[in-house]
Parts: sequence; structure tokens; C-alpha cells
Amino acid sequence: MNRAELIAELERILGPRGVVAHPDALYTYDADGCVMDTHEPHVVTLPTSAEQVSAIVRLAARIGMPIVPRGAGTGLSGGATPMRGGIVISTARMDKILQVDTANGRVLCQPGVINWELSQYLKPFGYQFAPDPSSQKACTIGGNIANNSGGPHCLKYGITASHVLAVQVVLPDGSIIWTGDGSSYLPGYDLTGVITGSEGTIGFVTAAWLRLTRLPEAVRVVLALFPEIAGASSTVSQVIASGLLPAALEIMDRLAIKAVNDMYRLGLPEAAGAALLIEVDGVEDGLDELLNDVTAICWRNGAIDVRPARTIAEQNQVWAARKNAFGAMGRLAPTYYLVDTVVPRTKLPQTMDEVGRISREFRLPIANVFHAGDGNLHPIILFDRRDRSQNQRALEAATSVMKVSIDFGGVISGEHGIGVEKQDYMTLLFSTDDLAAMAGLHQSFDPRDLFNPGKVFPKGRGCGELAALRRSGIAWSALKSS
Amino acid sequence: MDLTILRTDLAGISGEQHVREHPADRVIYGQTPLLAVAPGSLEELSQVVARLAAEPVAMVPWGGGTQQTWGRPPARPFVVVETNRLNRILDYTPDDLTISVEAGITLDALRAALAANGQMLPLDSPLPAQATIGGLLATAMDGPRRLGYGSARDLLIGIRVVEATGRVSKAGGMVVKNVSGFDMMKLYLGSFGTLAIIASANFKLIPQPRAAASILCRAQTPAPLWKLVNAIAASQLVPVAVEYLEGIAAIDAPFALTVASEGLPAAVERHLRDVAAFAQQAGVSTEVLRDADHAQLWSMINDVPQTAAPAVDELVTRVTCLPADLNRVLTAARAAAREADLSLQITARALNGIAYLRARGQTTALRLWHTALLKVAPHTTLLATPPALVAELPAFGAQIVNLDLMQRIKQEFDPDQLLNPGRFVV
Repeated sequence: MNRAELIAELERILGPRGVVAHPDALYTYDADGCVMDTHEPHVVTLPTSAEQVSAIVRLAARIGMPIVPRGAGTGLSGGATPMRGGIVISTARMDKILQVDTANGRVLCQPGVINWELSQYLKPFGYQFAPDPSSQKACTIGGNIANNSGGPHCLKYGITASHVLAVQVVLPDGSIIWTGDGSSYLPGYDLTGVITGSEGTIGFVTAAWLRLTRLPEAVRVVLALFPEIAGASSTVSQVIASGLLPAALEIMDRLAIKAVNDMYRLGLPEAAGAALLIEVDGVEDGLDELLNDVTAICWRNGAIDVRPARTIAEQNQVWAARKNAFGAMGRLAPTYYLVDTVVPRTKLPQTMDEVGRISREFRLPIANVFHAGDGNLHPIILFDRRDRSQNQRALEAATSVMKVSIDFGGVISGEHGIGVEKQDYMTLLFSTDDLAAMAGLHQSFDPRDLFNPGKVFPKGRGCGELAALRRSGIAWSALKSS
Repeated sequence: MDLTILRTDLAGISGEQHVREHPADRVIYGQTPLLAVAPGSLEELSQVVARLAAEPVAMVPWGGGTQQTWGRPPARPFVVVETNRLNRILDYTPDDLTISVEAGITLDALRAALAANGQMLPLDSPLPAQATIGGLLATAMDGPRRLGYGSARDLLIGIRVVEATGRVSKAGGMVVKNVSGFDMMKLYLGSFGTLAIIASANFKLIPQPRAAASILCRAQTPAPLWKLVNAIAASQLVPVAVEYLEGIAAIDAPFALTVASEGLPAAVERHLRDVAAFAQQAGVSTEVLRDADHAQLWSMINDVPQTAAPAVDELVTRVTCLPADLNRVLTAARAAAREADLSLQITARALNGIAYLRARGQTTALRLWHTALLKVAPHTTLLATPPALVAELPAFGAQIVNLDLMQRIKQEFDPDQLLNPGRFVV
């Protein structure tokens, strides 16, 4: 099938408005938020239903062409980059919230619904969708499910996987299945669980039943300022160890404070080395007591100022600063590389010291905005992309952050996914046997490796190869020592 | 198969005293295993599995033995692989609020270690003195507090397994947030040991609450209790458990609802106050339980679905449905039990759409009751079945959805059907 025939066939399925094939337009789809590697797709499709997605997938399977799913393209690991070209399936036109079922604590929506819009839509019902990535004003539910996204409130409410009750998926053979209806314990393997976080490599989510979380009766936010990041870090550890479970514990360091200060008129003293944002929620009763305890811990750890945000407006302002901190980085440097790793919580202060050392070693400023309560770091390496040396040093600094995180018992991604960005670091964390088990799961869904190929698994050791080795059961030791 | 050679080889791996021939205390639905072997380390477990796979002979993983009646009996002669010697805590830094434990540790032993540091793993299971973490994960057993803290699905952050060939693989890690690679934890959780044997598991922990108490609402009919359930669901209260009880002698009432709150003292008191007010509006009596009474009540409730010692005329089932359908499903189950003259005990996670039902009576009556139950709750799972019915009743409900995909997964992980054959849906 040549290109013209392919486009004609897709237009027959989707109508002319459902197909993007102009070379200039395809350029827009050559990467997501991770621009390390760019590849244009052969064609982009904009289906409106699971049936259309299925028809596209069947066509792709027939001609052996890769399928690459795409939500808003806000991902930071290259999950939506068409590494081998192929057909991009965008969820842009699958953006409907289909049913709010408060009696069963669930909401049915299409993958292209924007995270923030879902929570806004649910507010009048008294509910929210709890996962709230910093990119929530742009990112989609489909992308959240693919990456098992996090967000500040994961500390208390858990990651996306805990909030996906069932998904409708188009499998690589084009069949459409539902993994459940939102009730617990469907007999058999937890397909919902394995599809969530699989980065679009084993199925294309076309609808989802998501868990509704009741809005809390009351919320309190405090912004505590510390001379150094160490004080903020130890406050986090002590708050958690003292038996309190805040809704969020977020830290911004000196550079990040500088970036957000002007933009959001927070008037934070730039002498402050760290700002710790603490949110507690629940029923009104006891919340002030909780807040007092948290505030006392801040003072004990050398806080220079503790500012409660009492009104909703004040709270929103503080949160806006935190969630838009990445955008504010533009004030500090032309480009930034946001690294996402996790360490055990007690290793946070040492890890931050190491990040400081890495900044000095590679002569690049690194700002830090992170989910401290979860031990989830986000060092933001500031550089100028046009400068080749800086480019190289930024990559090396990112690698160092990953290595340091692993050395402290951590992992290479907490919420952004592996995609292309970190696929070659998977071997730092996982043995060939570990990867082969993952490849086995992949193989049972997508034996031809047509769904979002070239992701997650290390380059040159693709999932097909790993699965084949796994089946043959030979040469394990040889492979391991290679 | 030469059992003597196999036995000798297994003894060579795990030690003579840890291999037993035809052990009478490991019988599953009348089937005595060929052997039971208790490896003492991950390496031994791996070697044992590799040796059994080479034979090849089927394997049944065995933790505390409290859930061996679940599903169907093994389809072939089998060797029991015990995890009781794998009972160590592998890694525990209290301030990290994470722990790594071997699969054979009992829930009570784990709880004791955590309590010493003011922490907890908020998973409940029947018979915690016997039940192991591995068994709890393999069956994905839940407890009433899943409402407040989630289930194992939400708390399991890492896993190490021995696959059917003896190969060891891991996934996840020792951090609370992790998207590095596929979430294999979800695959093994609730898979009844049919894809791999769980060797160790990592969990995120939470601090013990500063206060805890419960309120017990008794009634002569179920209707006002469901009114109460709806009132709680509509409120902004955040109870950790809302459990509906029926036919439980210790409760001193035919029907009851009990609500647990954990957290700050003032928040707990607020929950007790508000639930009492809702109960008054619904016209049911209330009793507040604290300290030992509170703990005893929940320990009793946790044990209701136990399957370690079912009576011979007892059918234990788990019913799942959408939460709003639970009252209707239980009403149908009650009516069918009355019609068939069966005694019925129920504990139900009222806001989760999950119920555990114990029915006792004549074989014919149990059969009729189960048929009626499947009509209203097609996903009914059998947790313990009278021997006369075990070959006959569908263990995992009326229909297994997406069975072909599950079979492909099984084929990939255990093509020779060595792990718990016949037990599960695949």
C-alpha cells in the first residue's frame, strides 16, 4: 500500500477531517515534551470513537505499520514520539465526559478529556479526579493512564493506577475490550492494572471508568520558608514520621523561588533557600490541630517564616506558583531538562546534596521543584540548547542524577514514564530477567511490536528479542554477562 | 516419575527435614500432594521450582494454608511448595515508611514489627496469625479498611517472583512512586500463583493513627442500615471502614452496620457524632466502641470470611458488584437462602460493592442458592465449597470476560501449566 492509498483508506474510515497528512502539519507531531529525539509520523489520525480506532489499528496491522498514541503531547519522556514513523492516533477528538455516576463513585470519559477540565466538571457534584499532574491544565486522561501519572496530591490520594477502575481498550489485533465495569475483583488477571502505565505499548485506551474522590470538607495550606533545603527536607521526614498524612508536601529551592517570585507576586524573600508547601485536608475537626503540629515541626527545623494561606484565593495563588514553576523556568534559561527520579524519603537530603554537586560538576544551574513527601525529585537542569557543549553536559548531568538516585536505592522515573528518554537506563535498574518478564507481558498483548514501538525497553534489546530469549530459556547467563 | 529421585533432589536443595512425602496436612479437596517442600531462601525456592519444572510436575504454592479452598482443586498430581521458611523482613527503614518482606511472613508477625515503630500496613485478612503476605497477595484478599486505605493493589510497591522455570525476576522498587517499567505487581497480584510464585514483596506503610474508634448500629431489618450507608456516602466524612453485617451471632442483632474512623482524635469524634446522628434519623440504635472493644469487633469481622476451617456443608462466596447494587444483590441472596432453608452470614464492604457470604445447609439447597446468586451477581467467586459440589459449581462466576487474552498471558508465563493447574480461570 503506498502513501496515497493509505491516506485514502484512512479518510474512508475517518472522513477527510480525521486525517492529517500535510508534511508541514506532520512536523507538529514529531515529538512531545521530550525533544531529544524527533521523528515524523507517516500520517496522523483523529478518530472520534473506539470503532474508528479499531479500524485504524486493523489497517495498520494489515500493512505492518506502527501505531503511536498521542494525547496532548505534554509527556516528558518521548512517549508520543513516532520513533519508527507510522500512524499517530490522536485523542484530540475523543474528549467527552460521558457519564458521572456518583452512586457508584465513578465517571466515564474518553481519553482526550483534559485532567483539569474533568476535575472542574466534577466540582459541582462534590467530587474530583484526584491525580493532578503539574501539567493538568493541558494533559489528557489518556496520557495520565498511559504513564500512570502522579501529581502533588498522590502523597495522600495515590497515583493514577489507584483511580482507574476499568478501561476500554483497542488491542493490537484491533479487537475492542472492556477490562471491567468499575466493580472490584473481576475474575482473572488485573488487565486494568497492567494496561495502566504501559505507555501505549500494549493497548490503546478509548474510554475509562475513573474513580471519583469526594472533595474534602476543609483544606489548609501553609508555606514555610527555610534558609536551606536541608531544613525543609528534614521537616518533610518528621511530618511523615510523626503520624500525620498531609495531602501534599512540595518543595521549591532557591532558584525555583526566584523564577516564580516575580511571575506570581508571592513576595518570597529570595534569601530563602527553600519553600515548603504543606497542604492538609479532611473534615474540619482536628484540621487546625494538625496544622499547628505541622507548623511546630517547621519552626523546630529552623523555618524563617511560616505563612498560612487561609483563603481559597491565597491557596490558589500558592498552588499556581508551584504548578506553573516549570513554565517560570523560562525566566532563568532558554531551555530546561526536567529529570524525574525517586529516592527513599530519608535519602532526600543526601540526594539534594548530590544534585548540588552535579550542578557544579557540569557547570549548569539546577533548580529543584519536587514532591518531597513521596521522595520524588524533579531537578531542572537549565541550559541553552543552541550550545552544543551545554547540551551534552545537560544530558550527562541528567544521567548522573539517575545514577545517584539508583545508588540511594531509588528508581529512574516516579511519574513521567520511561518512553525514549530513559529506555537505555532501564538496565541500570533491572536485570535481563526482570526485563524479560516485562517483555513476556508485552508479547502476550502485542506479539508484532506494532504499538508504540521502540519505547520502554532498552534500545538494541527490544521486547521481541527479550521475549524470544525468555521462551527459548537459553543463554541466560551469557546474556546477563554481556 | 520417580518420586524417590525427586525427593532426594529436593532434599539436596532444601534439606532432608524440609521435604515430606504425601503430607496429610497439605490435602486440597481430598487430594494429597506427592510431596511438600519448604525452601529456606530465594535461591532454594528458585532451585526447587527449576527442579520441579524439569520433571515436569505441577506445583501449588502454600503460605499459611488459609485460602487453599479458593477456586478449584488442582487438576493434576502436584507438589506443594511452602513459603513458611521464607518469613524474614528483608529491608525496613522505618523513616522511609516502606518495608520489604519475604512471602511467608504472617500478617501478625509483620504487624508486630511495624507496631514497634508506630506504623502499619493497613491490610486486613482473616486469621492473621496464620495468613501470609504471599497468600494475601496471590488471592488479593481484602479487608474492611480498604475503603479508607485502599487494597494491596494500592500498597504493593515492589515484588520479586520465581517464574515457572525457576527464573527470578523483580519489578517495582522500594519507593512509593514508581513508573520505571511495567507494573508487574498488578499482574501477579490476585493471580493465584498461576504466573509465578511470589517470593518477596515491598509495601508502602503509613503511620498508626493517633485515634481510632467505631460505632455499631444494630437493626431488626436491613432497610434503615442502607439508608445510613447512603447518608455516609453523601457526606464528606472519610471513615476507614463501613461494614454491613448480617446473621453474625456475636453482634446480638440480625442486621448491623459498623463504621470505623481512624485519624486525629477530633476527626474521629466528629465521625462518631455524625454517624450517630444519621443513625438516629434512620431509626437505628448505636453503640460506640473504643480500644479493646473496637479492636475485638474488627478482628471478629475480619475472620468471618475465613476459609481455613469451613464446615462440610458450607459454601463460602465472594460477591462483587457496583456499590449501588449491593443492597439489591444481598436482598436476593437473603431471599434465596430463606427459600432454600439455608443459614446465611454476611460481611459486606458496603461502599465498595464487595460481600462475603457463608451459606450452610443441604447440598441441593446450596446448589439452588448458588444458581440464584449467579443470576444477580455473575462475578460470584467460590472461596470454599462442600466436597459434593466442588466439581460442579463454576468457581469464578457465570462468565470469564477476556479469557482469551488471559490465556495468552498464561501461555507466555507458564506454557506447561505447572503453576497451580486447574485452580484459577486459566
